[in-house]
Amino acid sequence: MKGKKSLGDFLASLTGLALTLLISFALVIALILILSKTPGKTLFYFFIGPFTNNYYLGNMLNVAVPLVFTGLGIAVAFKSSVFNLGGEGQVYAGGLATTLVCLALPVANGFVGVLLAIIAAMVLGGAIAGFSGYCKMKWNADEMISSFLVSSAVVLIVNYFITGPLQDPHNNMLASLPLAHQYSLLKLFPPSKLNLSALFAIVMAVLVFFFMNRSHIGYEMRMCGLNREFSRYGGINVSKYLVLPMILSGALHGIGGGLMVLGTYGVLYEGFSAGMGWNGIAVALIAKNNPLGVLPAALLFAYLDAGAKAAMLSGDVTFEIASIAQSFIFYLVTAQALYSLVHRRRRAA
Amino acid sequence: MSNSQYSVPLVFNAVEIMTPFLLAAIGGLFTELTGMLNIALEGLILAGAFFSVIFAAATGSLFLGITMGILCSMLFALLFGAITIYLRANVFITGLATNLFASGFTIVLAFQIFHTKGNIQFPNIPPLPSFSVPPFLQRIPILGDILFGHNIIVYIGWLIVVIAAVVIYRTPFGMRLRGTGMNEQTIISLGLNPKRYQLSAILISGFTCGLAGAMLTIQLAAFVPNISSGRGWIALVAIYLGNRTPLGIFIASFVFGLAESFSNYAQGAIKIPVDFILALPYLITIAAMILYAIWRHARTGK
Amino acid sequence: MPYLEMKGITKLYANGLLANDAIDFSVEKSEIHAVVGENGAGKTTLMKILYGLEQPDAGTITLAGSLVSIRNPLDANRLGIGMVHQHFKLIPDFTVVENVILGIEPVRAGIFVDRGVASARIRQIVEQHGFSVDPRTPVHQLTVGQMQQVEIVKMLYRDASLLILDEPTSVLTEQEIGKLFVTLRSLQKGGRTCIIITHKLQEVLEISDRLTVMRKGAVVAVRRTADVPDRAELARLMVGRDVLYPLTRVKKACGDAVLELKDVTLTQRGRSRPLLSNINLSVHSCEIVGVAGVSGNGLGELEDVVAGLQRVTSGHVLHLGEDVTALGAAELRERGMAYVPADRLHRGSSLQSSVTENMIVANHHRFLRAGFLKRGKIQAFADGLTKSFGIDGGPHVPIGTLSGGNIQKVILARELTSAANIVVVAEPTWGLDVASSQFVYEKVLSMRAAGAGVLFISSALDEILGIADSIIVMYRGRVVAQLANDQNTQSDPNVSKQFKEYIGEYMLGLKDDFAPTNLKGKDAQP
Repeated sequence: MKGKKSLGDFLASLTGLALTLLISFALVIALILILSKTPGKTLFYFFIGPFTNNYYLGNMLNVAVPLVFTGLGIAVAFKSSVFNLGGEGQVYAGGLATTLVCLALPVANGFVGVLLAIIAAMVLGGAIAGFSGYCKMKWNADEMISSFLVSSAVVLIVNYFITGPLQDPHNNMLASLPLAHQYSLLKLFPPSKLNLSALFAIVMAVLVFFFMNRSHIGYEMRMCGLNREFSRYGGINVSKYLVLPMILSGALHGIGGGLMVLGTYGVLYEGFSAGMGWNGIAVALIAKNNPLGVLPAALLFAYLDAGAKAAMLSGDVTFEIASIAQSFIFYLVTAQALYSLVHRRRRAA
Repeated sequence: MSNSQYSVPLVFNAVEIMTPFLLAAIGGLFTELTGMLNIALEGLILAGAFFSVIFAAATGSLFLGITMGILCSMLFALLFGAITIYLRANVFITGLATNLFASGFTIVLAFQIFHTKGNIQFPNIPPLPSFSVPPFLQRIPILGDILFGHNIIVYIGWLIVVIAAVVIYRTPFGMRLRGTGMNEQTIISLGLNPKRYQLSAILISGFTCGLAGAMLTIQLAAFVPNISSGRGWIALVAIYLGNRTPLGIFIASFVFGLAESFSNYAQGAIKIPVDFILALPYLITIAAMILYAIWRHARTGK
Repeated sequence: MPYLEMKGITKLYANGLLANDAIDFSVEKSEIHAVVGENGAGKTTLMKILYGLEQPDAGTITLAGSLVSIRNPLDANRLGIGMVHQHFKLIPDFTVVENVILGIEPVRAGIFVDRGVASARIRQIVEQHGFSVDPRTPVHQLTVGQMQQVEIVKMLYRDASLLILDEPTSVLTEQEIGKLFVTLRSLQKGGRTCIIITHKLQEVLEISDRLTVMRKGAVVAVRRTADVPDRAELARLMVGRDVLYPLTRVKKACGDAVLELKDVTLTQRGRSRPLLSNINLSVHSCEIVGVAGVSGNGLGELEDVVAGLQRVTSGHVLHLGEDVTALGAAELRERGMAYVPADRLHRGSSLQSSVTENMIVANHHRFLRAGFLKRGKIQAFADGLTKSFGIDGGPHVPIGTLSGGNIQKVILARELTSAANIVVVAEPTWGLDVASSQFVYEKVLSMRAAGAGVLFISSALDEILGIADSIIVMYRGRVVAQLANDQNTQSDPNVSKQFKEYIGEYMLGLKDDFAPTNLKGKDAQP
């Protein structure tokens, strides 16, 4: 039912994307050549390393999982033209909620515990983002800035919990007490950390796709995103759709954080979210806000991440090379000029 | 605990702390007036911070160090501006990219040169000179203690604010800059090129942010990874709270300086966990933002 | 020898549109020359080339005997060519002076803008031409007519000797048009040359010395205006066939009031004058009530209020006798209101969405099953409407790719359903060609025939005269006249002109049938 794009448009998008990736990878190669004393080895580990054994490969797929959730969260928000810049805090808060639930519950049925923990993460993430949406609806306060500010404060407050009331007294790490074993998710690919949350991610991407494109609420959210005035004129309750997309976006981010704690780490430690919120934005952009496209886009980012990790462990470069490559993906992924190379778009005056 | 015993140093520190906010925000004002949302202030400050202290240590000269720092920050700004304006990328995303790039690049370079990803001390760089005033000025009660005795970058900041106000409102460049932001079509119809003014604005923000970053590291005589730690974002908020005018930005920056100065003070004196105190500037800003929105909403009656 | 000669001008746009096809165009010194044609004929493109906003793919331009190259508006200005745009290129927050000097600001001491020197010169120009503008006022406080004067001053400040005016009368009242023509004649007497782009036939015959007719990118006729007998001949040249359809109006009000406004007032914080003040009007079924006025006098606000998109400050809105003042757009739609907005592109449609998605925005909840949309049913619905309204474009393409006329058809298809009892249309034929406009009128008339009441808001007096049963005139947010449209305007152009001027006096505030007695005469000044 959506406007079908012509083949030319689709090819143009792919070409622009390909150019973006080409330039970013070329940059990584250049950096490695300049900085590493053993460029050949480092390059090998960067590009091929993630596939050389189960550990690297599984962990790469595992890193993609939270990126799928944050990517979906941003895609849902962007499609509705609300700007959730508080992803980091929402992921973080999701982890906190999950940890609190698991630590508070008596050691009982693992499945129920995990379910409650995830719901808690959704609720907390959704509430935090929803607050910004509410302020936008009620008083036209810019949700982009407010969500960022709230998120920054949330990160600090969660850190307080980690280093304070929740801290594990048995060691000196900036982390909470570990979660009980029955809450940890089934590992799919030992010795890596890849776990059940990966399947959950795929299912969620499909669910979000159908929700946005085939459901009643999804239609109204998309219409508000494309033209709020038109939607209001057509009788859609646009106020509702300033808040709801933020809540959904926050909830998705929260789930991402919760799953990281349950599946990968088993504990809440300071800084565990490590840029998932920000990278979710790049993932959503590469995927052109298409929920199904978020899956390969998240894999791409995870690949860069894994490559940098492998190169770091086996070579002599630092992990932040991945950030540089990622930044250029950010730089170029919206560069319209790259897309116009294939498809000319001049309109008559 | 008498008021003046603590409040004067509080305000004195506030004046100093507000300077990076002020500088970044004034530069950001130029881009804002051309209609571009500049969230790269954070990354530009970081670039200025890193390169100025490195070059100051390498050359032994503060002036050279700061100049190179500003130059590097402007190069980052050039990259940001060129891709956004000439490749027609989304300015918000390229702003994020600039922050990510600056963060990653400085760490990679620091690791390459100093083989550490932690703090790097530079004990041998000269300290920032203070601007000395005749003693009779310093003896003015309260105001004298607050306004005088700061390092020169503080006063350069005030000068820049004044120059900015003049340029924006009294020069052809300023008029065309504002015109670009208000109605780009009009500017084009007059045969002017809005891209030139947008790029100039971004470079100006690179300049001021470079100076802001330089102040952070040179004062500390050290480079701390991600030392900008949110100042660029606060500067952005200052632009909006200051209603996009130089005077308003000055006041808003002062308020933020005061908030941070207070939180520094409170860390020592009041028994609140560190994290809450660090969160204070953000919480105050959110509260200010929402209150402002409520007030504005009530005023226009929409 | 002609003053300006454009030879062989060709312009092919990247999307395949041949806007100008080897055009030869010439203008004599000190003449007023009209360039006439329908939307899309290529006249704007030709003038943009002359002003340096576009570059031709082929052809030459000769000015006063020498070949010139015009690469941008600055070149054009230097050659003495000025352009007064259809959509004003003004910065509302800047003053008149600032707008006029932007781009060529005089400086003092090398860096500071010298507003004083500029002000003096602008005042001189303003006085010389009898304009009514104070250079120090911010442009957003000016009337539309005054804004146009600022655009003209902008060009005179740059010593323009050849002035291009793009659709200059589209936003003016009859009287303001008269003033503009006086200005043009005085410019002509001062030795300047004027080119007017327009599609308004009567004005061409009134003001121009010679005219060039363009159709589909080519010049089809060049005449001395005195040699053209009447509008019909001109229309034939423009479109290639006989075109002036008389609109059939059948007067028969048949029922109760469908829509009533009682003492509706709308104020806004920060605006000293109410946007709407004590509006009283009613629309009955089988009746078309036309609302006339110059844009900026409350037509848009009336539209917003009636459509449920703007809450009134005081007063009541009644629908079928029931008070609906508090209801919003969604509820009014459910009660049977159809609304075709003036802003077709931003309010009336979602340009990036498909035609189908545009069609179902108001009634998509009728196609639900368990929260999900039934695509088959929706498609059938959309296909049906596409066929019956003759929409030229597939159901899946983004609506923004359709022509203006087809976009309006989609909106009409969506709105004009059998369930509508009150139809609100605002500026429905703006930017549409003759055939599409005709389609709109026919649909509106058929809605009346089916029993609906129609509120027809438009700043184009001609179409209101052609279609409305009664006319309400608004000025500065108030109703200043309520007239029956029973003049025989169609067959006798003289009657039409008189009636239009009569209504024009109301539109300009020179007459007011409803002035409160203690304020009598206060509203008389523009």
